[in-house]
Amino acid sequence: MKPNFRSALALLFFCVAIFVLPLVLGGFWIRAFTSAAIFALAAAGVGLVYAQLGLINLSQIALIGVGGWIALRLNFATDLPVFLLVVIAGLGTSALGALFALPALRLRGLYLALVTLMVAATFQILFNAFQFPNGGSGFWGVAQQSGQAMRRPSIATSDAAYLAFSMVWLALGLLLIEAHKRSAPGRAWKMIRMSEANAMAAGINVTWFKIWAFALSGFLAGTAGALLAGALRQLDARSFTAIEGVLLFALAVVGGVYSWVGAVLAGVLYKLLPALLNNLGVTSDLALIVFGVALLHAIMTAPRGIAGQFEALFQRKDKA
Amino acid sequence: MIDVANLTVKFGGVVALDDVSVRLTDDVIGLIGPNGAGKTTLINAFSGFAPVTGGRIRSNGRDLLSMPPHARARWGLARSFQAVQIVPDLTVRDHLQAVLDGKGMPRSDRAAEIDRVLEFLEIAELRQREGRFLNQFQARMAEIGKCLVGGPRMVLLDEPGGGLSEREMVCLRRVITRIHSEFGAQVLLVDHDVDLIRDVCSVTAVLDFGKLIAFGATADALANEVVKAAYFGR
Ligand SMILES: Nc1ncnc2c1ncn2[C@@H]1O[C@H](COP(=O)(O)OP(=O)(O)OP(=O)(O)O)[C@@H](O)[C@H]1O
Ligand SMILES: [Mg+2]
Repeated sequence: MKPNFRSALALLFFCVAIFVLPLVLGGFWIRAFTSAAIFALAAAGVGLVYAQLGLINLSQIALIGVGGWIALRLNFATDLPVFLLVVIAGLGTSALGALFALPALRLRGLYLALVTLMVAATFQILFNAFQFPNGGSGFWGVAQQSGQAMRRPSIATSDAAYLAFSMVWLALGLLLIEAHKRSAPGRAWKMIRMSEANAMAAGINVTWFKIWAFALSGFLAGTAGALLAGALRQLDARSFTAIEGVLLFALAVVGGVYSWVGAVLAGVLYKLLPALLNNLGVTSDLALIVFGVALLHAIMTAPRGIAGQFEALFQRKDKA
Repeated sequence: MIDVANLTVKFGGVVALDDVSVRLTDDVIGLIGPNGAGKTTLINAFSGFAPVTGGRIRSNGRDLLSMPPHARARWGLARSFQAVQIVPDLTVRDHLQAVLDGKGMPRSDRAAEIDRVLEFLEIAELRQREGRFLNQFQARMAEIGKCLVGGPRMVLLDEPGGGLSEREMVCLRRVITRIHSEFGAQVLLVDHDVDLIRDVCSVTAVLDFGKLIAFGATADALANEVVKAAYFGR
């Protein structure tokens, strides 16, 4: 595919997602698509770290929770506009994401995966212990009864408008990744992937660029968390378990970590597929079986994910 | 000018460099020695990848060993690897750009700098080609290109001639002899091809089992009896 054609397709996709979907979908599907867009944003972050540095991060779900916590906390403590809440949640979470990079400076592969899994499990416990703010008093802000809801921006108070709002954030997040890939950080990450000695010999500060990748991924998780808080109006600690973190990473790989399409597919699989099964009256646990099969498929035949397979299909057509 | 004093590198019990002292002042310096002599280890010690247990490496009063590896590269220490490090999905231009990113060269000068290096290496037409589509010789040239952008002070080449054909060696030889005049950098050349060393290096150092067994004018170093025994076999 030619680069121009590719950009045109991306533009078309997001025009439909932002302007058409909110108009044509019904209430149930609007909420499902909103969740899918939000998790696609977070999946783009894990995918970035895996594609650029080959590092497995299973703690993204914890960072989504942290972003949601920051947004909710500020929502009740201040009158800042929602747009700012999302940005602040993103920045705050990216700082924590950078901290999560520290084990990645020494570990890789299975060991790093295990450490990030432990981090996710720790946060699972913390979320359960302290819950998410819902307008209560004190630092933790948890009211036992009749919690209050997260605000939405005045231009996006309806579910339909909030879907468009989330899609805009997804588009911005994916553009941010693309801008990184095409400039100095993208080049540095590729050099590091070749070998760290190669990167250092080229004058690249390996530590700095690894931390940067984790911080960027954390930023995307944080914005996703804040958007999720606005979408659901309240967050439930039970949504942020370590196992969900594993699932998010697995689906990012299944979707394909090398292009934005993969992140979108991950969001679709993670949130739309269970909704579809629910809608058909089948238990959404079936989705887990589908995920398992898809993961095996990806590991055995499609290292570049479903997005990579689409790409190969188009390239074959180009040649013909 | 680089001053190596009492440099020792140990890998556990293996002494890869044993108290090596040498002052490198010539423009193009050869470094030879049998397999496992410690040539790559010396280059790695320069770059900051070898476990130095003693000694100093200084250049114009700067202590290289106290700088982290990437800072040494930015300071002007460039090196190529025995196994070329060319990224499959990065274009030749972007390999050089990645080196310039760290050097703080003004954005407006970068394209011209990259062109100058690629034209010097006669691979300007490969500018947009990704690493995976380069043949062995082209990859080798791109690897050298990474060493030449951004004003290197010292270029360390680790067996750049490995696996090249005769015709390609002619090109490589021309490139290496012109690096100093074109870029002003000092060159340290490691190679097993004694003819190449004899042709391009004014002085040569010989390592054997981690010890510097000879250092001086290339002809003398190669004629040295100890060198002949160690390097060429009796
Ligand atoms: N990372 C390492 N760990 C342990 N031992 C090492 C390591 N690197 C090098 N050595 C040892 O140090 C010695 C010197 O190796 P070095 O690679 O410097 O040799 P060389 O002169 O470059 O040889 P060649 O001509 O084969 O490239 C060898 O005995 C080698 O086994
Ligand atoms: Mg070697």
